[in-house]
Amino acid sequence: MTPRIIAANLGVRLRSFYRERSAMFFTFAFPVILVLVFGTIFTKPEHLNFDLPVQDLSRTESSAKLLEALTADHTFRIAQVPTDIDATQYAKEHKQNLVLVIPKNFDAPPGQRLGQRGVGNAVSLTYVYDPSSTSVTTKIQVLDMMVAAMNQKITGMPPHFILVPASILPERYRFIEFFVPGIIAMAIMTSCLSNALNMNAELRQKGILRKLATTPITRADWLVASILYQLILSVISTAAILLVSYAVFDVRLHIGVWLPLIVVVEVIAFVGIGMLLTPFAKEAESASAVANAFLFPMMFLSGTFFPVEMMPAFLQAFAKLLPLYYVNEALRAAMIFVDDPATMHSAGVTALFAAVVFAAGTFKTRWDEET
Amino acid sequence: MPNAEHAIVVDKLCKRYGTLLAVDDISFTVEQGEVFAFLGPNGAGKSVTVEVIETVRTATSGKVTVLGLDVRKRKAEIVRRIGVLPQNFSSFDRITVRESLRYYARVFGCKADIDALMDLTNLSGKANAQFNTLSGGLKQRLGIAAALVNDPEVVFLDEPTTGLDPHARRQVWDVLKGLKDRGKTVFLTTHYMEEAELLADTVAIISNGKIVAIDSPARLTEKHAEHARLTLESVEAAALGLVQKMGFASTQCDDGNIRVRIRCADDVRAILEEIQRAGLTVRGVDVRKPNLEEVFLKVTGAPRDDSAGDSSA
Repeated sequence: MTPRIIAANLGVRLRSFYRERSAMFFTFAFPVILVLVFGTIFTKPEHLNFDLPVQDLSRTESSAKLLEALTADHTFRIAQVPTDIDATQYAKEHKQNLVLVIPKNFDAPPGQRLGQRGVGNAVSLTYVYDPSSTSVTTKIQVLDMMVAAMNQKITGMPPHFILVPASILPERYRFIEFFVPGIIAMAIMTSCLSNALNMNAELRQKGILRKLATTPITRADWLVASILYQLILSVISTAAILLVSYAVFDVRLHIGVWLPLIVVVEVIAFVGIGMLLTPFAKEAESASAVANAFLFPMMFLSGTFFPVEMMPAFLQAFAKLLPLYYVNEALRAAMIFVDDPATMHSAGVTALFAAVVFAAGTFKTRWDEET
Repeated sequence: MPNAEHAIVVDKLCKRYGTLLAVDDISFTVEQGEVFAFLGPNGAGKSVTVEVIETVRTATSGKVTVLGLDVRKRKAEIVRRIGVLPQNFSSFDRITVRESLRYYARVFGCKADIDALMDLTNLSGKANAQFNTLSGGLKQRLGIAAALVNDPEVVFLDEPTTGLDPHARRQVWDVLKGLKDRGKTVFLTTHYMEEAELLADTVAIISNGKIVAIDSPARLTEKHAEHARLTLESVEAAALGLVQKMGFASTQCDDGNIRVRIRCADDVRAILEEIQRAGLTVRGVDVRKPNLEEVFLKVTGAPRDDSAGDSSA
């Protein structure tokens, strides 16, 4: 192994990468865009607020008070629905998934409520809703809770039970905190695997390997240069993801010594897999296909986008065979739960895997006669 | 001190792939400072032989030394002392000419004079052009420059002018002549007989894994292609019978031309006079001296469009 040769190869690869804008985009910008998109979609705002069209058939002081209560903490933005049209019709025409109807006798004393639908002497507030809407459930639950609170208040009784939250995590965590370590792991895996495969296929297809085989470059020089190259890309990509996550979503993650260690182990593991897969990817076209065949299942089954616990048992068992699962587990244990033994366990499994595939990859990669 | 009298010694080299014997017990030597042209039809075992000598492939049996060093045992030393232009040379797309040469110089750990190399290969004007913007001829010249960064004692050039236009080919030839003048040993693999004829001191022809001819171009032509060839262009078909009656081996080609095997210049005059006497007309006449191409076709037994020579055999 010669440092001078490693440096020369590293220089050429970094320069090529820098000049290849699309490679830059997919390595750095793509994961950041994923963080921005998924972060925006799934991170619930601190304060929920919904549009709520209300048809107030009563138009009394009591109904006005009810509406006031609903809007008091800005949870609902009330829009008045004209009283002379059918609420269901209105919901359909205006594409509303929930319309609240306050009945005419809302203000009537209890004795005069007979004949109304409802439990006992209660006044029925009807809500017209669209069950095919995915977001309506949350809206109904919130409305339900507010109505229950109002009922409880009207009775004047102190609450019998209250719920007090106590998180298993030291701080309050959101989806984005779960998501960011997953994206870091995914970005590194994608970059290592597809770069290793594409670079190799390109060098082979174009005949560059044939030339390199007649130079003093050894297999070890080449492999070390590949790892260093991927490591540099991975560090930049991880830094970009973290910067954007902190700046835009104000994430609360623990960044310590584990993070760089896990990054190094992951790079070695996936460069190793890339080396093992090169015999199946001799052309640039098959290289992308082979890379995708590995990347997609890994991405979706290893808990990058959602927790593995959400999957059926057999898929969970399968996930535990995937190296990315352990990288995800290690990164989350280190960055979210700050759990050293758990981190060490998952990072250790990843390291073991890295050692095995890297050794197998080194053994299998033939430098001289492969062209 | 290894015996470096010969630049390359190939002794009873065999290379087998399964049941296929790609190279079948070949032996030859390349002297220091000569241009050695290695010719052969596709699939004759040419590339395999070259790659064994370049240390890229390992032989099944036999011994090969380069500069006195055994290719099996001294690869690391050999690669530092040879320069290789592989077939269809290619380099990193986004890397410029200057950067590519600097890269190879660093890989070899030598202080190459990049500017001088670019001058030699006529690349100075393209120093900052990225590889993927270069034309075929420029790419080949970069390949030759890259093969020279370590100031090698033996230069291997595998089909250096394939796919180049005549102008670019001539430029590459000029570079090759320059190498010869500088006393480098050049191992040239080529498809072009004129290239071998023009540049080579020694020509070896390989066919079906065996060396079928090896000598200087002049002696090979002398030995194997004793006949010159006359082509009568756009002549009436009746001329064929006329010429054959005169005792010359001849054939009519698909394009209507008649090819005649002749011995001396007087034959040309006699044939033309006979045709004129018969009241036939000839639009054009072409006389070819015996050349390496004929030798090649003869010794490799390759099919050819011109069968004039065979018909009289």
